[in-house]
Amino acid sequence: MDKIDFTSSKSGSLPSSKPYQKSSRASYKRYLIFTLLVAPAFLLRLSTAAYPILQTIYLSFKNLSVLKGTDEFIGFGNYIKMTTDFGVRNAFLFTITFVVATTLLDLLIGMVIALLLNSNFRGRLFARTINLIPWAIPTIVAGYVFRWLLDDQFGIIPFWIGQISGIHPVIFINPLASQITVILVHAWKDAPFMAIILLAGMQGIPGELYDAARVDGANAVQRFWKLTIPLVMPLTITMGLFRLVWSLGSFDLVYGLTFGGPGVATSVLALQVFREGILFFKFGFASAISVMLLVIVAIVGVLGLYMFRKSEVSY
Amino acid sequence: MLKRFVSTQTFRRSLRSSGTYLSFLVFTFLVLLPVYWMTRSAFSSGSDLIKLPLVYFPPPTLKNVNTLYEQIPFDQYLLNSVKFSLFTTLLTLLVSFLAAYAFARIRFPGSNILMWALILSMALPEIGTIVPLYRILKTLKLLDSIAGLTFVMTSTLTPFTVWVLVTFIKQVPYEIEEAAILDGANLPQIFWYILLPVTIPGLVTMGLINFVNAWNNLLYPLSFTTSPSAKTLSVAITEVYAGFSPWGKPWELIMAVGVVMTIPIIGLVLITQRSIVRGLTGGAIK
Repeated sequence: MDKIDFTSSKSGSLPSSKPYQKSSRASYKRYLIFTLLVAPAFLLRLSTAAYPILQTIYLSFKNLSVLKGTDEFIGFGNYIKMTTDFGVRNAFLFTITFVVATTLLDLLIGMVIALLLNSNFRGRLFARTINLIPWAIPTIVAGYVFRWLLDDQFGIIPFWIGQISGIHPVIFINPLASQITVILVHAWKDAPFMAIILLAGMQGIPGELYDAARVDGANAVQRFWKLTIPLVMPLTITMGLFRLVWSLGSFDLVYGLTFGGPGVATSVLALQVFREGILFFKFGFASAISVMLLVIVAIVGVLGLYMFRKSEVSY
Repeated sequence: MLKRFVSTQTFRRSLRSSGTYLSFLVFTFLVLLPVYWMTRSAFSSGSDLIKLPLVYFPPPTLKNVNTLYEQIPFDQYLLNSVKFSLFTTLLTLLVSFLAAYAFARIRFPGSNILMWALILSMALPEIGTIVPLYRILKTLKLLDSIAGLTFVMTSTLTPFTVWVLVTFIKQVPYEIEEAAILDGANLPQIFWYILLPVTIPGLVTMGLINFVNAWNNLLYPLSFTTSPSAKTLSVAITEVYAGFSPWGKPWELIMAVGVVMTIPIIGLVLITQRSIVRGLTGGAIK
């Protein structure tokens, strides 16, 4: 093997010294090993993410519908139809509201929980343990549990409200109440996850910084605003944007809690894609909605990447 | 003067600690209320759920599970869920470990870009790929099969797993591998005898997180399965919800499926919480 040197012909014109040849062959082998090792992961992503996305963009210009049997190019037909489609328009507006509201709420409540889990008290271990429960519960199950928990007749929360105030709230026939409920339940499910991340961030702050601040006479509130917040902020922004992007594409909770109802008041774009594409087999139209979703994700993603790169701070 | 100062200090401290305990109580209540409600409803007869005033602790019964067995192929759904989650977990770990090793150890100009391209691909919303994936799986004859579900789910979980495993592998000192290479060890030997034992905690962590994610996944089973041969519990619960009983939704049955789906996962998570928290934060925290 050693006598046949594949690299020698290439490096023939260069001053051929032994270490150079050796490292060149080694680096060829390194590239080969690298390629082999990452190949499965990249093949998976190319076949189930990259290629399908391109396919989605392509399909969005066709009127492909399995049930109608149509399959022709219609240019921007689907996109024009989308602007007048009642369901899509509502879903677009609610998706934006939902994503912005849940992200801010998740971060806010997540920070409160993280502060609680970071403070010293008996029961802290218990609190940290049960904090994982909302994350672990399947989203679809959480959706149904809250639907039942908020049932206007036999749900415990409307029952209690009725007992205290005498008014028996009926949530799921009211569009605004349903929308607020979806946002709050999402916060129940996701804020604890945020708290885990933020808590880890807080624990990563060196204790000496707090000691120094204390010596300088900063009180607890000042220490929080001047130390904790700025130091956890980069992580918070990054995580917030990751969740934002992730929330944009998910529909499990809405599927279980309201199925987009009443009417289409709580429908999100992801649910609309599922409905049009998987339930009604209108592949072309569903793809156009997907593309709109992808554009929103791309905008958020680029913004996120920009902030992610700026967020590397040191202390 | 000093005395008054001390007393305001202690007063403040006790105020703060009672504030902490108050928020602890509210937190515990809010987290556990849905869990209580689900469990209470799952082990109750349907008629006890529609009594007013509400019955907080109805006489426990297991008959809902029996009803489920009569109405749907429950064993099959459960088995499918286990298979889907387990296969996905193992395959994801294998694929991700290989890639993570390459990213952690073989560095050249551009290798970081490749790594971030892979990791950032997790930002692509799965729903945006659902229609083409449906057609791809149909062409490959993988529609309505555990293999097809495993294939797409593995791909979805790989980017995050790679991200976390890269961090874990980088923490292993390279000198050990170097010594092994000098001793003539090949790559599979290095993986098996040197890296695997020290990265076990990382693999367990990501295995658990991936298991939970696959077990909880709704989108893929809902979109790509049509028969009991591949439907999972997450699909089962939507089917039970869609079924009507004489007095409206069969909440005791829906909650029973919910408990079967949730209890194993919560159990697993509570036992291994340290490991899971390390994984969830492993990618974000260096």
